[in-house]
Amino acid sequence: MSQRTERRGIHVDQSDLLCKKGCGYYGNAAWQGLCSKCWREEYQRVRQKQIQDDWALAEKLQREEEAAYASVHGAQALSHSQPAASQPHTGHASLGAFSKFEEKKTNEKTRKVTTVKKFFSPSSRTASKKETQEGKTPSPSISRHASFDTEQVSKDFVDFLKNLQKPGREIHKQCRAFIVNMSSKKDLGADELSECVQDFYQNLADRLMSHFKGSSESVEQVMDQVEKYIMTRLYKSVFCPETTDDEKKDLATQNRIRALHWVTIEMLCVSMDEEIPEVSENVVKAITDVIEMDSKRVPRDKLACITRCSKHIFSAIRITKNEPASADDFLPALIYIVLKANPPRLQSNIQYITRFCNPSRLMTGEDGYYFTNLCCAAAFIEKLDAQSLNLSPEEFERYMSGQASPRLNNSEGEWPHSGSAVGVTPTNPVLAQLNHNLEMLSGLSSRQESLMEAAQSLQADLIAWPKNVQREVNDILEKYPLEIMSRTVSAIDANNMDNDQLPPPLTPQVFAG
Amino acid sequence: MAAGGAGGNSGSGNRTYSFKVVLLGEGCVGKTSLVLRYCENKFNDKHITTLQASFLTKKLNITGKRVNLAIWDTAGQERFHALGPIYYRDSNGAILVYDITDEDSFQKVKNWVKELRKMLGNEICLCIVGNKIDLDKDRHVSVEEAESYAESVGAKHYHTSAKLNKGIEELFLDLCKRMMETAQAEERLKGNGASQSASSRRGVQIVDDEPQATPAGGCCSSG
Repeated sequence: MSQRTERRGIHVDQSDLLCKKGCGYYGNAAWQGLCSKCWREEYQRVRQKQIQDDWALAEKLQREEEAAYASVHGAQALSHSQPAASQPHTGHASLGAFSKFEEKKTNEKTRKVTTVKKFFSPSSRTASKKETQEGKTPSPSISRHASFDTEQVSKDFVDFLKNLQKPGREIHKQCRAFIVNMSSKKDLGADELSECVQDFYQNLADRLMSHFKGSSESVEQVMDQVEKYIMTRLYKSVFCPETTDDEKKDLATQNRIRALHWVTIEMLCVSMDEEIPEVSENVVKAITDVIEMDSKRVPRDKLACITRCSKHIFSAIRITKNEPASADDFLPALIYIVLKANPPRLQSNIQYITRFCNPSRLMTGEDGYYFTNLCCAAAFIEKLDAQSLNLSPEEFERYMSGQASPRLNNSEGEWPHSGSAVGVTPTNPVLAQLNHNLEMLSGLSSRQESLMEAAQSLQADLIAWPKNVQREVNDILEKYPLEIMSRTVSAIDANNMDNDQLPPPLTPQVFAG
Repeated sequence: MAAGGAGGNSGSGNRTYSFKVVLLGEGCVGKTSLVLRYCENKFNDKHITTLQASFLTKKLNITGKRVNLAIWDTAGQERFHALGPIYYRDSNGAILVYDITDEDSFQKVKNWVKELRKMLGNEICLCIVGNKIDLDKDRHVSVEEAESYAESVGAKHYHTSAKLNKGIEELFLDLCKRMMETAQAEERLKGNGASQSASSRRGVQIVDDEPQATPAGGCCSSG
């Protein structure tokens, strides 16, 4: 363009075309008026600076975390200084709008993304720096002992945030600061801890909404990851904390469910027919899922277990009744599953989810509905009495104390001997069975007696046997006494006639010196 | 809870409301049929695709506002009555269903209403629904009695038939509009009385609330 205008005779000063650095070469507008050589130098310098700034920030975050676990006081000091120190970096940071991050995901080859990648990548300088620092610190920080999945989750989290660019960095920083902050609050009660976490969710979500203009779907996605990361890190200290009586409740519920082992599917009016193989298969799966809940760390994963369990119950009901399950069918079925499964640490898990799950999920979502039903099931089991099973109080009492078992009501006819022996009323199936058992026991004891007799005779035989053998041996020895014949000892070489002709054996010669 | 009402976007135009509605009523009053008719438009159909009818969602667009409705069915058996509060915690609306041929089921509704008002106050929108109007010849609950009772407790009364698909669409639409009004009123209140827990970031939201007040008025007048 510029050459063309020159040719048309419009006057362009020669100095305008030269490199702005004054090196004497011609410059180019595309290189901001610099010549190719000067431009490359300039560009490299700016870029280097940017990368260094990024690294500086990354190292800072690294140190922050390191310090956090090494000592709480040091960490606090650092986190106080952190907002001010990080301020200048916002200028250099890439300007990728948060709402477009999904678009950017597909566009990873741009320079900005690679910079961000370098910044987060575990194989970059950040990682090596981490190792050298670790070597230097005399007391290794707690985070180094973190289990494999904690590390995995941290890595996944960082991977996820990479795609978010600037908001990603911001989120990362906030989450770490929050975890540090939480580690200094271990003495607080469970409710206060819960409040801290919920406030953090709320603030972060608000911030993402307003500051980075995220759509509600993308914010939700980010919040899920944040929850996963934070709760995996905090799990040990906030699950069933010592400040609460969660553990006591767990034990109480466990014992309660054990005491209710006799409750049948009919008493709960559950519309599942376990005779159908598909149904019983679903029942088993549902039981497995609700038990599995305890093994998960993230509240959302726990919720997913409950949802899976519920889906299996729905399938079982659908197969039995051939219509969609209403809550009238579902809740009794869930109660039955919980009674069958006796899920470990049920109360702790419920409390944990209530306290630390992202509230939007718990309030309105499908997972929230199933969770609510599980809470209902737990509450029902706790309060369960004769009336709620349509039993008379006496019956309930007898079942609870183990004096009777409802299961045998169905199998009355199976005991033909009932009542015949000691004159008990044959109508009572339990006594009938007791009787039957007694009979069997007496039969067993008589058989055992005969067994003992046989064993004793066998023992006597065994003792007698070696004596008999001994006697027989002695008899034979007496009969055929051992006679030792004297024998002429013959030399080995006696038969060899040519011995004399052999040369004398060699004698060792001694050489002097 | 304040958060229960509307976890929505800031920005007045494209805000989404999320409402939780609980379905209460005795065993065979037709709660499930009602909600299946509404969400799937099917009645006693062998071809109902949904695996379950206890948690259903519906997306609506009411006067340009998006509404996500989550309908929570509850177990209606008497022995689960005590579990009610766990279900209806944080809900924005309640649909109390009775069978017009069954006087007892109406008594149950009265019990629920008392309980709900006691636990949740006036924040919850109540709908009392007399179902099975196709069986009007066997009616045991008089229209006047039901309607005057509903009025006395600040609830609205509807007559529906899941079998004939009558009155159901109106019931849910009306309920949604009322819940939106409640949510908006609550927001205005929050905006004026600036809650103590509000951080500086929440302050931004309060600014966002102002343009929202205008469409709120429009909605009220239209509804």
